[in-house]
Amino acid sequence: MFDPGILAETTELMGKSGAGLAIFGASVGAGLAVIGGGRGIGQIGGSALESIARQPEAGGRIFTSMIIAAALIEGFTFFALVVCLLALGKLAG
Amino acid sequence: MNEMATLLAADSPLDHVVEHPIAQFGPVVFTNHMLMVLEAAAVLLIVLPLAVRRQALVPRGLYSFVEAICQFLREELARPLLGKHVDRYIQYLWTTFFFILACNLLGMLPTESLVTLLSLGRLKHLGGTATANIYVTGTLAALALVMIHVSGARQQGVLSYLKNFIPHVPWPLIPFMYVLEFAGALIKPFALAIRLFANMLAGHTVLAALLLLALASRSYAVAGVTVLGCAALSLLELFVAFLQAYIFTFLTALFLSTAVHPEH
Repeated sequence: MFDPGILAETTELMGKSGAGLAIFGASVGAGLAVIGGGRGIGQIGGSALESIARQPEAGGRIFTSMIIAAALIEGFTFFALVVCLLALGKLAG
Repeated sequence: MNEMATLLAADSPLDHVVEHPIAQFGPVVFTNHMLMVLEAAAVLLIVLPLAVRRQALVPRGLYSFVEAICQFLREELARPLLGKHVDRYIQYLWTTFFFILACNLLGMLPTESLVTLLSLGRLKHLGGTATANIYVTGTLAALALVMIHVSGARQQGVLSYLKNFIPHVPWPLIPFMYVLEFAGALIKPFALAIRLFANMLAGHTVLAALLLLALASRSYAVAGVTVLGCAALSLLELFVAFLQAYIFTFLTALFLSTAVHPEH
């Protein structure tokens, strides 16, 4: 599963100028950020669905609150993404 | 026809995401995002007044759409938060919402591609998403910052506003609370700017990445499926355009309400 050739190449890049390490860090960081955001928004969506199922008349208000909470969480997930993009951009620029 | 095929293949899809200079007047560089801000302003200053010019008792068409949005923003968003002060701040909130919405939607129109295609490659980069630029969203957030604190100070008087800035804590904690609230006052508009900027940038970047996949695959089948995926993603982007404008306006109204009516 692990190809030793790729590992060797990455390590070599890491030694050279830190470029490989930066690419590795940025990519892994973006993936980890998505885990947190996805879990949080999934939990909100789940509770919203449960509460709408219990009380369909409150559906409109619950939906609006769900959308707002999801957008707030997405906001700081995008912070992490922007930091990763900045790290990659420092490489290119 | 050969020329057109070369044109379409020449631009990288990431061109839609980045800012490009299109003119230079002395030391001032005029970029395509600045052009899009002017276009959004033109839409709001020319199209909207024309739409609401014929004030009938029963509105129809674009007038009805605009009025429905304004009514929704005032009654469902602003009034529960601001109470009786709605009419003082609603014009600023309406302007924020419609400006961000106009910028986001103008970014979804493929104006730069069409103009490049029809002018056979002479006029380039006459379009883009203004809100995918951190300086545009940063300016909107800076205006929100000024609006929030000046409104709070005018509503309560400067000394009373500063006293009510922090919640009630025992006296040794007061300086620390001021530091915390001051940091919060700077971070909240910064978060507004980054949220809008990153949402717009990420949307267009994902579309660009999918199109790069279509180009790199060198097969019509993969390219066809990818283009259909891009169309579906563009529908999501239209939803995100409305949602982000709503979220920005909602959070501005929320911060205004905590500045104007502090919780005792």
